[in-house]
Amino acid sequence: MSGLSIVMEGPGNYINWGVIQISVANLAIIAVMVLLFILALVVPFPSHDEDSDEEGHSR
Amino acid sequence: MTTSEGELSTRQTADPKNWTNRLRGWLEGLVPKGEALPDRQPVYVASWIYVFGVLTLTSLVVVIASGFVLSLGGVSWWHVSSLGHYVNSVHLWSTELFFGFMVVHLWGKFWMAAWRGKRALTWITGILLFGISIGTSFTGFLSQSNFDSQWIGAEGKDGINSIGVGAFFNVLNPGQMLLWHVVLLPLGVGLITLWHIILVRRHGVVPPLDADLEG
Repeated sequence: MSGLSIVMEGPGNYINWGVIQISVANLAIIAVMVLLFILALVVPFPSHDEDSDEEGHSR
Repeated sequence: MTTSEGELSTRQTADPKNWTNRLRGWLEGLVPKGEALPDRQPVYVASWIYVFGVLTLTSLVVVIASGFVLSLGGVSWWHVSSLGHYVNSVHLWSTELFFGFMVVHLWGKFWMAAWRGKRALTWITGILLFGISIGTSFTGFLSQSNFDSQWIGAEGKDGINSIGVGAFFNVLNPGQMLLWHVVLLPLGVGLITLWHIILVRRHGVVPPLDADLEG
């Protein structure tokens, strides 16, 4: 039945910008991944400073 | 000459021409002692960007495990069973997460020039994994046994033929595509993943650019 439902679905929404054509769904996924990347860089990681040794290693 | 129970012959274990000895020496030298599963890391690893490699690996484990379960029921199982449909969805969404995490991992490693410090082969095996993983997912789309897979096969054959490999890799042959998907390509992904991880453990996690002390 899932195959039939795919056929019955609409063509989806697309964004056209010059030679670039991308579906809104794919663009949204890329935007979420870029956001995730930025968050991974700026959100502080829970640290355990008391576990750090003199050589700069931590658990 | 007799030996007591549990005693080993040192003469045999030291023989460099013995294949078993050489294999053992090679295996023992793959990763520095204590680095196979370390419980401590340099402090710069305490960043979320360093988590995405392990997230990718974790997703791959779920992909392979759900693929094993799907192979028990066969390619059409998910069309006729709610359990099969559920396992198929786990397989699909773990693959989506696998690629999402892998691409963020790739971005992070690219922008910190992770090939520094004799880590070029680690980078190359990562790129290889990215390419083979795309091929594995492509053959997975062709193994859905529905109209979607027929459409993708019909659209993909022209691209495959245009690069001259259609005679050997026929995307309109679902049996061939299924075997590539469940045997050949996962074997490649698994072995190169193992190689990639061994290289990471051998050379350590790459430091950030501003913490580079290796020249």
